[in-house]
Amino acid sequence: MMHLWDRLAEAKSRLEPVQSKYRVLFEDPEDMESPAKVLVPDPNWMACALEGNILPPIDTYQRDRDVPDGEPKEHPYAEPIGAMTEEEAIEYLVQKDIPPHIWRDYRGNRIILKIVPVELVPSDRSFRNAWKINQTEMEMAA
Amino acid sequence: MSTLNVSNITDGTTTVGTSYVVNGSAKAWMNLNGSGAIGLRDSVNTSSVSDRGTGLYTQSFTSNMANSNYAGSGSAQDTDGDDDGRNRLQVTNAANASSAYVNTFDTGGSADDVAYVTSIIHGDLA
Repeated sequence: MMHLWDRLAEAKSRLEPVQSKYRVLFEDPEDMESPAKVLVPDPNWMACALEGNILPPIDTYQRDRDVPDGEPKEHPYAEPIGAMTEEEAIEYLVQKDIPPHIWRDYRGNRIILKIVPVELVPSDRSFRNAWKINQTEMEMAA
Repeated sequence: MSTLNVSNITDGTTTVGTSYVVNGSAKAWMNLNGSGAIGLRDSVNTSSVSDRGTGLYTQSFTSNMANSNYAGSGSAQDTDGDDDGRNRLQVTNAANASSAYVNTFDTGGSADDVAYVTSIIHGDLA
């Protein structure tokens, strides 16, 4: 089995990048004073996700979180998974790149995570450090 | 894909161990538009970037590093053609083995959104 990094390098040489039409908005319940964050999928990563047979199963990343630094990790040599839809890829990315206490463990009433079309993220960054997720509309509010 | 299994690489005059090439290669990089609705122009081994506020970004890796002791570098400039806009500051440091903090500042040291941000990671892969 090729190392994941080698699979990514090989994929970059043959796959066209794919700009996602989605963004993930999230807030950290452990730091509610900080502004809403915006996760942007990488176009080369998205191309790999849609192609299939490159990325490892998401649960390998989750198990590797508990492995101490310097110890062997599972995800680089795990058997790759098949092609995902763009929506499945975004859900995978939420579980990979957003801390579990936000997408898994939070039990409060406030909406702290939304997957939205890119057009709903403001391009005007005025009051950027005061952005919060709008609790009633599918859009961001400053 | 074929694999060359060699200990050294030579051009006929100079010989170096392949470990120099492996250890010296960047393991992740990105070129980010960090202003407006941020977006990645290109990258290697980057799964996403998160905008955490003015001048604050997180670069997440697809193939994680072995530990948090890797090195980060990069650059920041605010405009493509204006010399005055090139003097921005950029810091990349480890958040953990799976992501790095990338922060950009103006010359006064205040966090600043910057249009051209690069981040380069050297170190050992997991």
